[in-house]
Amino acid sequence: MISGSPGASAPAGEAIAASRAAASRDALLDVRGIGKTFQTGEGSTTAVEAMSFTVSEGEFVSIIGPSGCGKSTVFNIIGGLVADYRGEVRVSGEKVSGTHPAIGMVFQEESTFPWRNVADNVAFPLEISGMSKTARLERAAHFVEMVGLRGFERHYPSQLSGGMRQRVALARTLASSPRLLLMDEPFAALDEQTRLLLGDKVLQIQQTLRQTTLLITHNLTEAVQLSDRVLVMTYRPGRLKRVVDIDLPHPRDSEVVSSDAFGHYVAQIWQDLREEASRGIRDDESRVLQAGRR
Amino acid sequence: MAGASDLNAAPRRDRRRVAVVRIGIVALVLAAWEVSAASGLLLREVVPSLVVVGHSLIALLAGIDFYRNLVITAGEIAAGMLIGGMSGLAVGIALGANRFVSQAYESVVYYLGPTPKIIFFPVMIMWFGVGAGSKIAMASVSCFFPVAISVAAGMRQIDRVHLLVGRSFRATYWQMVWKIYLPAMRAPIANGIRLGLGVAVIGTLLAETKLSNQGLGYLVIQAYARFDMARMYALLIVLFVLAIAANALIGRLARPRSP
Amino acid sequence: MTSWMRSRNTARAVGVLTLVVVLAGIEALIRLGVINRFIVPLPTQIIASLPRIVAEENVVQRFWQTTQEVMWASLVIALIGISLGALLYRVRILRMACESWVGALAAAPIVLAYPLFLVLFGRSVTTIVAIGVIAGLAPVILKTLEGLTATRHVLLDVGRSFRLNPSQQFLKVLLPSALPSIFVGLRLGLIFSMINIVGVEFLINFGGLGQLINELAERYDLPGTYGAICFVILTSITFFVIAEHLEKWLAPAT
Repeated sequence: MISGSPGASAPAGEAIAASRAAASRDALLDVRGIGKTFQTGEGSTTAVEAMSFTVSEGEFVSIIGPSGCGKSTVFNIIGGLVADYRGEVRVSGEKVSGTHPAIGMVFQEESTFPWRNVADNVAFPLEISGMSKTARLERAAHFVEMVGLRGFERHYPSQLSGGMRQRVALARTLASSPRLLLMDEPFAALDEQTRLLLGDKVLQIQQTLRQTTLLITHNLTEAVQLSDRVLVMTYRPGRLKRVVDIDLPHPRDSEVVSSDAFGHYVAQIWQDLREEASRGIRDDESRVLQAGRR
Repeated sequence: MAGASDLNAAPRRDRRRVAVVRIGIVALVLAAWEVSAASGLLLREVVPSLVVVGHSLIALLAGIDFYRNLVITAGEIAAGMLIGGMSGLAVGIALGANRFVSQAYESVVYYLGPTPKIIFFPVMIMWFGVGAGSKIAMASVSCFFPVAISVAAGMRQIDRVHLLVGRSFRATYWQMVWKIYLPAMRAPIANGIRLGLGVAVIGTLLAETKLSNQGLGYLVIQAYARFDMARMYALLIVLFVLAIAANALIGRLARPRSP
Repeated sequence: MTSWMRSRNTARAVGVLTLVVVLAGIEALIRLGVINRFIVPLPTQIIASLPRIVAEENVVQRFWQTTQEVMWASLVIALIGISLGALLYRVRILRMACESWVGALAAAPIVLAYPLFLVLFGRSVTTIVAIGVIAGLAPVILKTLEGLTATRHVLLDVGRSFRLNPSQQFLKVLLPSALPSIFVGLRLGLIFSMINIVGVEFLINFGGLGQLINELAERYDLPGTYGAICFVILTSITFFVIAEHLEKWLAPAT
């Protein structure tokens, strides 16, 4: 385990810098010191502060943190949906500003287009890039099948369950063949069982496609189940608190989930998370008290 | 409409820019008018100069004639709204309270709503004569429908919980009406009245233009008959301002009380 | 309440029955002289006049005339209304400046200006269609604007994540998302247009069905006047129902 916060003591700092330099040369995604401060009505809030990490080709990395820790801000920064932020994001060495064709995003909220059926939703990025109708429907069908929705091509999102709609969103993003798959709590709105099953599915797909994936989540089990590495964030302002390598075998089916090693990782990460989550709760309470006094 | 309230929340700089844009648009329209008036592109009488219209407007507002007719029209509208509004309220409550009644009769009200009520005017004349009576009838008929439809829908949207609370405290029928039903329906009732006012104004004025010897509608058609365009523009301006102001006033009353 | 009383068809039947009873009652009262038959004609007479009106007064052709006027007005409203709504959406400062004005336009009794239009365009179809357009324009503009602004933010984010250019974003995300609202606006616009068009036809004694009522009233054809009014009511109900069905058919999925 490596402590990830920059500005650590000098000699250790050098070693870290050296290994990071090595890592960034092969990294698909290289995030350097990103930070973002929002101006609110009552002053300013720093959502994220000096976060740096890399994601290598084929890796599945999760970022986990308590609610309000700035995870979604990290998602928006890397995805290019946020304008001014501190620090730098590089994809394959190339500096990124704005949305990047190599990054595919899957959002937390309902994001399927309600006026298009499943096939047309999934084919959307192909339509944009000018692919012909037959070609793109064929390619879309491939991804529809991959997420397990074969037979539902002509259904409309309103006819599907929440979990199915998120699968459509995933298929749509995958259809654009992104080099990095960036997901923001895609399963947050789903019940636990559906989450577990979908998580399985996502991992299967990731392994098959060797898709580099960065998942933002607040769900501990999910993070450990799916990832090769888990980055733990502190409460606001969000910094990198700890990096945990998950050394569990693949396939990570529900058997692995009930293994000892799994429990060990979960407990370990929970230690850090609990600390940050309690800070979050105390912060909320004091804010409510202050608002009441006014 | 949310526009006005958004504006109050907007920052100073935006509000100033909006004011500039609005003044700009108005200035542009007035300038275009004046140009076409002066150039004689359209018939000079049809598009009189703004100065002429202005004079006519002042003359209109300065004369007793206008106010006498305004009072008459306003009286007709008020009477019509009282009759139409009360009956609309009663029918709306009856329709909204009972599902059977609603299924039997509500479609009549619902489908008669979007019809041009002015076509009933000949019948109104036969029944109530050529004086104020037929105009009041027009206003009543016009006003009835939006109120009834709004109230019926409002009744159905009352949170059942409130009714159960009332019943659990064994409120009497009238207590339920005054303390629960009516307060819960303040918004749909106010909205129905606002729409009702709009159509009552239209109904009354159109009736006056068709057959009358008094009222603001009569003044409009009189100006038309005399081809006094400036006066017609002046009357229309005043009418529109009054109608929009009345609508805004009721709209403000309809807004929920801020905490 | 017993179960047969709950049935919806029973309710409808009761409604129809009530109507029949009321008409029969009116018939009786008139025949008894309680109601003056020169003010309210016998319902049976009114019903008898209907086929006569159809045959002699070219009802079908008049209906078609009115329908054409409504269709022209609706077309113009759709083109201008949706474009202006989109324009207001795009140009924020215009939207802030003009939105409440459009709301005021919706509340203003436009049709009162019909003498003005008479002067401008004479007793013609242009006058009628022009008033129809102005009367129905406001809801289309407002609903288009509303639909566009209500587009869920995440859908715009999806568009941005796929790097859509502004016109793609508009055509493929904003517009489809706003379509249900736009259709509501078009339905409202169509209804307002129709109401005002028939009204103006009556007032200026020109055009289709509205004019028929006027004519029959001036001829003191009592049953005919009532009958013509029934026709107009039927027509407006027809328009209303068609508009509702059109809206449902065109915006199914959402």
